Amino acid sequence: MSAASAMADGKSTQDPSRASVFARRLFANRSFAIGAALVGMVVVLALLAPAIAPYDPLKGNFRARMEAPGLAHWMGTDHFGRDILSRVLYGARVSLQIGFLVTLITAATGVCIGAMAGYFRRLDGPIMRLMDAFMAFPSIILAIAISSVLGASVVNVIIALSIASTPHTARVVRASVLVVREMEYVEAARALGAGHARILVRHVLANSMAPLVVRMTYVFAVAILNEAVLSFIGVGPPPPTPTFGAIIANGRDFIVAAPWITIAPGLAILVSVLGLNLLGDGLRDLLDPRMKVATR
Amino acid sequence: MKLKLLALALAAALALAGVGPAMAQKKGGDVVIGMTQAPPSLDPHVTSAQAARNVNLHVFETLYARDENARPVPDLAEGVTISPDGLTYVFTLRRGVKFHNGKEMGTADVVASLERYRKVGASASLIGAIDTIAATGPNQVTIKLKSVQSTFLGNLSSPRAPIAIMPAEEAAKESGKAASIGTGPFKFVEYKPDSHVKLARFDDYKPNPAYKDRDGFAGAKIVYIDTLTFRFMPEAGARDAALQTGQIHLNETSDGPTAKRLKGNPNFQVIPLLPFALQVLKFNHAQAPGSDVNFRRAVAQAIDSEEILAVAHSDIYKIDPSWVYGGSAYHTVRKVPKPDLAAAKATLAKSGYKGEKLVFIVDNNRPNIDTATVFQQQVGQIGVNLEIKVADWPTTSKIGLGSDQGWNFWTHGFGIEPFEGPASVMSPWVNGQSQRKDDPVVDALFEKFNAEMNLENQKKIFNDFENQMTDQAIAINLGDYGLFQVASSKLKNFKPYRIPRMWGVWME
Amino acid sequence: MGRFVVRRLLASIPVLFLVSLITFGLLWLVPGDPASVFLDASASAADLDRVRHELGLDRPFLLRMGEWYLRLFQGDLGTSLLLDRSVTSAILERLPVTLSLTALAFLFSVAIGVAAGTLAAVRHGTAADQGLMAMALLGLSIPEFWLGLVLIWLVAVLLPIFPVGDYVPFAKSPLQWARHIALPTFTLACVQMGFIARMTRSSMLEVLSQDFVRTARAKGLPEPYIVIRHGLVNAMVPIVTVMGIMVGALLGGAVVTEQVFSIPGMGRLVIGAVLARDFPVIQGGLLFLALIYLTVNFVVDLLYAVIDPRVRLG
Repeated sequence: MSAASAMADGKSTQDPSRASVFARRLFANRSFAIGAALVGMVVVLALLAPAIAPYDPLKGNFRARMEAPGLAHWMGTDHFGRDILSRVLYGARVSLQIGFLVTLITAATGVCIGAMAGYFRRLDGPIMRLMDAFMAFPSIILAIAISSVLGASVVNVIIALSIASTPHTARVVRASVLVVREMEYVEAARALGAGHARILVRHVLANSMAPLVVRMTYVFAVAILNEAVLSFIGVGPPPPTPTFGAIIANGRDFIVAAPWITIAPGLAILVSVLGLNLLGDGLRDLLDPRMKVATR
Repeated sequence: MKLKLLALALAAALALAGVGPAMAQKKGGDVVIGMTQAPPSLDPHVTSAQAARNVNLHVFETLYARDENARPVPDLAEGVTISPDGLTYVFTLRRGVKFHNGKEMGTADVVASLERYRKVGASASLIGAIDTIAATGPNQVTIKLKSVQSTFLGNLSSPRAPIAIMPAEEAAKESGKAASIGTGPFKFVEYKPDSHVKLARFDDYKPNPAYKDRDGFAGAKIVYIDTLTFRFMPEAGARDAALQTGQIHLNETSDGPTAKRLKGNPNFQVIPLLPFALQVLKFNHAQAPGSDVNFRRAVAQAIDSEEILAVAHSDIYKIDPSWVYGGSAYHTVRKVPKPDLAAAKATLAKSGYKGEKLVFIVDNNRPNIDTATVFQQQVGQIGVNLEIKVADWPTTSKIGLGSDQGWNFWTHGFGIEPFEGPASVMSPWVNGQSQRKDDPVVDALFEKFNAEMNLENQKKIFNDFENQMTDQAIAINLGDYGLFQVASSKLKNFKPYRIPRMWGVWME
Repeated sequence: MGRFVVRRLLASIPVLFLVSLITFGLLWLVPGDPASVFLDASASAADLDRVRHELGLDRPFLLRMGEWYLRLFQGDLGTSLLLDRSVTSAILERLPVTLSLTALAFLFSVAIGVAAGTLAAVRHGTAADQGLMAMALLGLSIPEFWLGLVLIWLVAVLLPIFPVGDYVPFAKSPLQWARHIALPTFTLACVQMGFIARMTRSSMLEVLSQDFVRTARAKGLPEPYIVIRHGLVNAMVPIVTVMGIMVGALLGGAVVTEQVFSIPGMGRLVIGAVLARDFPVIQGGLLFLALIYLTVNFVVDLLYAVIDPRVRLG
């Protein structure tokens, strides 16, 4: 909670009155407040991992393998004797990093592609056909295939997941650009002789941000989920890097004999994704009340 | 009918006398085995994958086969006469052996099968020494070798990619197209990819009269069960759950923690299968620093194989530096090296290694990944810096089998080679095949071994080979590992082996 | 209407062509080939070359690509390198499994989701509303494969009544089919249930606040009648529009669910083919998945036009 409001406060340095009003409205929204609290908690725990993790997440303890949750290891240990709690804390760093970067990259590529398709009529057809083709099979299969082409690593997982989530984002951006393009103020700008680039950035994109921002929270959530799926299939970040997915994949063989290895990171995913979904709901209510459909 | 009555009366008498019931074989029943992987092909010649062996060696047989102690003994052949110069092998075939299509096996089938294997066989080099194959009598097949090969019968009986005998018309088909028609105790019923292979008892099967009992891949193969299904379940938890719900009767690959959990449960029998393979760590000698013997030695001094095996194969491993299994005549008792970090650091200082990042390739099989992970920690202590590259088997093996670049270390199981014997263990290191740079000593030893017919001399040569492997740290043998098989207690008389044999077992 | 159908069908051809091009692009770049799947780790380079030759993998990529398109025009998707059958029959074998899994999950999630969403909307602002929506959100946030693993654990330990790792066709035994498919269906439906419940609630709330509903209430019509006749029927429109997206999500979820529960469906076929580099199956499988997705979306658009007369096709 405190971290989230601190984040909002950081924003308010530029324009105190408007920003703080907006922040107050945001936190008056219960979805947003709870979501921000959950996400904030995960982020803070991830950032503090080096300080609060009780053990080294990579170093196994030969004598404490497969220990059930107890006083020494709150979430138990895996078959290396590594502390699950420490691995989940460090795993949050990598998983959040992956989610965050996928979101940034997807926003950039999605906006570029979507804006071009929406603004330049001639490009619309070919670009959207290509996006349709990418969307025509499940994005997770696309991500798995790209990840096997590139080889398993954190960077490649980010690339694979960004490619997989771009088409949908491009479609969302295109849809709002199509609407904004026909608005009077865009006509006016055009009449005043503004260039394409200027119109696109200053008028069209600036006014189609709302659905994009909302979509980005879902992209973030899905990236965290899909990183775990990639690890589960065996094309995720390689060991010893802990990610939520990698920890689950490592414990899957022992799901019946030592379920704690798998359950803790799964709950961590659940909390993160839940927080992001709530955050998205809150943002949607405030930014774009007309948009009712939460696309996932 | 009369006979049946008599048998019943006899059984009753035995039961009354109190001798029979403990081993009362029962005919009938369906057994389902949960396997981790599906066979890449049911054409026995074209694949050396473990999963294919598990299925195919229930359906197909070979002229010679390995017995319980991995020695070659007659299976479809009655016997062999070897000429004094060691170049001519005359095989007499067993009479009255029927294929699953009802036809009787003849010399033409044997010749066609062997010829096919020479062309498309996944391990065609096994019988690379063959010059000609010919039917030389109504029941006789003669094989002439190009040069003497002490391991020829061993190779011919290898279960790796079995040199199976199939009907001549199937042997005429191209690679991967031969139908599943063999002479084995089970016949093929259906194959549903990613689901199962189903086999049924072959009622016309005549167990080899030369044997009384089950013996390795040979022996008397007497089938009691009606059908046998291999179900492919890659998820360990799913196999485990399926065993507990009674969906499968044998979990072919289970692990220590699961075995521990089920031990003592009267509904299940936990069967350890050790040794099953060696965990081998390969260096790429074509690249620095793997090309530097001091580097390799330093790594060998730094690692604690006990710790690696305990994590990767918990509760089912044995530290044994010999490159064959304990029961083998060639097995040697060798000193177990103790990790010595100070010595390792000193040795590493003598090498040209300057802390560059090295690549450890590994396929996405958990024990192999675990081995790489612990290894990374251990060599990190002496300053060896490496990244682990996990990929699927095609990617990893493509790099490791065929490339001088892109890798420094690779680990995988070495299971069938030690079972087959010294020549198979040595062969991957000949001409630098596995380590990417030939070692003249190994090459010479292999050649010598192939020409040597005397067991004692063979033992000496193999011992020299093992010494060379250790001394030059060509590769590291971390030790034996095994696997746990868990069966329903209804499955009787099961004895683990290289494949889960379903002859000689019955369901209660 | 007829013109719309023809136009949509024609428009799907370039999309399918692009799908096959994307797949070829990936296959071209992907390292490794299926030859090594046949071999163990001490295979020699000669063994590898021989298997590669037998599989026809030593021929130039572009040539194989050209042949694939040629055969495609004759309606032939080629032969699997590993499964001992044609790609078409491999797919047709799996299709019923995946379709029944997704269809059942779809029905299940719509039934429960709509009921929960309606209830929440009717009881707007109460504890029931909040509880249902919290559950919906929770369902929406669960990682499917993890839920599957947890269910397997529960089955193995607590209630061994649901079989794991097998599939029985409906035609063979409906009861066995239901028992076998229950857990995977639940796993798969969880996310979509939450999704549908939330959608239903919000569109229901919107409809219930509109004038014609108020008029109906003023006329003294019974509340359940209003909710169903006016509310639900109108609230279904946005739900129908997202059905296409849902089916896409379900197919993606099925890929993972089949993996966890060891069910022989399309997802396992394609993932297995990707991991083993069974090129013809990857190519055919992705094309088929795309075809399913496009067909569903096409049907959704038609349905949309039927339900909402304001939408003009063309």
